[in-house]
Amino acid sequence: MGQLNLNRVQKFYGTFEVLKGIELEVRNGEFVVFVGPSGCGKSTLLRMIAGLDGTSSGDILIDGKRVNDLPPVKRGIAMVFQSYALYPHMTVFENIAFPLRVEKMAEEKLKAKVEQAARILHLDQRLQQKPGMLSGGQRQRVAIGRAIVREPKIFLFDEPLSNLDAALRADMRIELAKLHRQLKATMIYVTHDQVEAMTMADRIVVLNAGEIAQTGAPLELYHKPANIFVAGFIGNPKMNFLPVTCKGASDEGVVVDYKGQTVVVPVRPHGGLVGRTLTLGVRPEHILLGAGDLTLTVTPTVIERLGAHTVAYAAISGEGENYCAMLPGTVAIRPEETVQTGIRAADCHLFDEAGIALERRVELTDIDMGLLNPAAA
Amino acid sequence: MINRYRWYELVAIYAGIFVFLAFILAPFVEGFIVSLKPLSLLFSSPYKFWPENGSFAAYYTMWESVPGFARYIFNSFFISTIVTAIVLILVIPAAYAFARFNFRGSGLLLGAFLAVNMFSGAVLLIPLFRLMRSFGVLNTYLAMIMPGVAFLIPSAIWLLRTYMMRIPRELDEAAFVDGASHFYTLRRVILPIAMPGITVVAITTFIGAYAQQFIYALTFNSKTEYMPLPVGLFAYFGRQEVIWNELMAASFVGIAPAVVVIFLLQRYLVSGLTAGAVKQ
Repeated sequence: MGQLNLNRVQKFYGTFEVLKGIELEVRNGEFVVFVGPSGCGKSTLLRMIAGLDGTSSGDILIDGKRVNDLPPVKRGIAMVFQSYALYPHMTVFENIAFPLRVEKMAEEKLKAKVEQAARILHLDQRLQQKPGMLSGGQRQRVAIGRAIVREPKIFLFDEPLSNLDAALRADMRIELAKLHRQLKATMIYVTHDQVEAMTMADRIVVLNAGEIAQTGAPLELYHKPANIFVAGFIGNPKMNFLPVTCKGASDEGVVVDYKGQTVVVPVRPHGGLVGRTLTLGVRPEHILLGAGDLTLTVTPTVIERLGAHTVAYAAISGEGENYCAMLPGTVAIRPEETVQTGIRAADCHLFDEAGIALERRVELTDIDMGLLNPAAA
Repeated sequence: MINRYRWYELVAIYAGIFVFLAFILAPFVEGFIVSLKPLSLLFSSPYKFWPENGSFAAYYTMWESVPGFARYIFNSFFISTIVTAIVLILVIPAAYAFARFNFRGSGLLLGAFLAVNMFSGAVLLIPLFRLMRSFGVLNTYLAMIMPGVAFLIPSAIWLLRTYMMRIPRELDEAAFVDGASHFYTLRRVILPIAMPGITVVAITTFIGAYAQQFIYALTFNSKTEYMPLPVGLFAYFGRQEVIWNELMAASFVGIAPAVVVIFLLQRYLVSGLTAGAVKQ
């Protein structure tokens, strides 16, 4: 079992509140990813779950038992560090065996366990080598092996792939996902890389400035971000935001005005919107060439050809940020040549003045609902 | 490889090196040459730098002039070894604590250690003497070992603490997560990794103890059989004359064991001192 509950967990460094009352439930066997910008408190939260940092207030429960005052080993967790934290003077075998040596496990049993872990991680041939002779990916696997042999209830990963190069990172992502299915253990994974979050997570927890901005399945966060922060954080390139004025609201959706064009965005309205300035969000990949429900004529300044896609950046008068569009790979546009781009109302997101999203009435028939809501599956 | 220096720059550099080396090594060269000369020739005028009919005779006769000399060498070696061992036993856990734990007064203590280092043992001789007398350890090996240990601990702690701070903290954390106690972590993880640093501390402590014992031996010990090498050398100062050639020979023989130890350990010394200087 590996059920984790966080009840109003707070952390202060001096008077600075790093974590502001985190409430979270992680079910047994779930792969949960904490993601957020640097300094959002995600690593601190992980270290608190591990028992490396104390909580200022609130409870951490593992399988219903309060573990705040227990040392890491008694919590039933194992942690994999960003820098691998391998012992350079020990062989791979001794590195993996270290937690078992601490437990004073009998030699035969220890050997069997280490060899089993090595098999899972394809390290059988490396057991007598020192970490210095291994590649980055192999080192990280040794670090994971050291976590596996303890058979913890919960695995904690602190940005384990960020020291690897891009190709190796993709391989390790796949291996970790396989490992999760094989071990069926609860895993909590911290990263600032949204690709890692989107690809591996059952559920993503987006943290911003010490608070949970949103918790949900990867596609839920993509299609129904709860607020501007999540909308801007998930998705690459970043979502475009345009200031619009609310002209009215009906069952159809919210009528907004952008520089003289009105568009009905199919979102669930709440009272007191009319006359207010709202933020319209649209993802670069949803921008089309030609006219749409909302049509913008822009002059691209920079065009990036990525093969599969073309990313075009344009400055829009009166707005600081670049307007970004992701178009097909062979699209016929050139820098400094004006083009017409269109946005479909159904693709739009709408945020109120506080940055909270108005719920989209998106047709998600092409999305598996089980993916959106793991509990319903 | 590009020649980064012009020829005259190279000449200047080597000339500079030669001057400094000559300055440092001249006493040793002179001492060695003196040890080869017969005593009568030493005061001949005009002075001749190169020995005529030089021989290693002094290296044989020195053992006869001062029969206890082997014992003095042993004493020096023995005292330094014990001092080094005690310092290491005390300093390794202390340096680990200073490197890893935040405890109240750690900064103050480190500062105090540095301050103690500023007093040479000589300033404290009289209080130390009274202390030794109260403990009743005057005229024993302990009288030379105890102050030696006390005065060598501060710099050893500073040296080793700096080395241990360079060991990534995540190694401790990983061991802690795996259930290891602090002492287990120190023994199984930190100690092996810090071995080069510990070697550096061992060497500097050994040299320090070798050089420092003179003043304590002179003050706290009057028994000939416990005397270390530097005091033992005084035996060559006779009533009428100083047997210079034998004195020089004895000096070289006396430091030989220490030189051998340092030569054996010097590769650790170099790698220890430069570890972390480049990206690993």
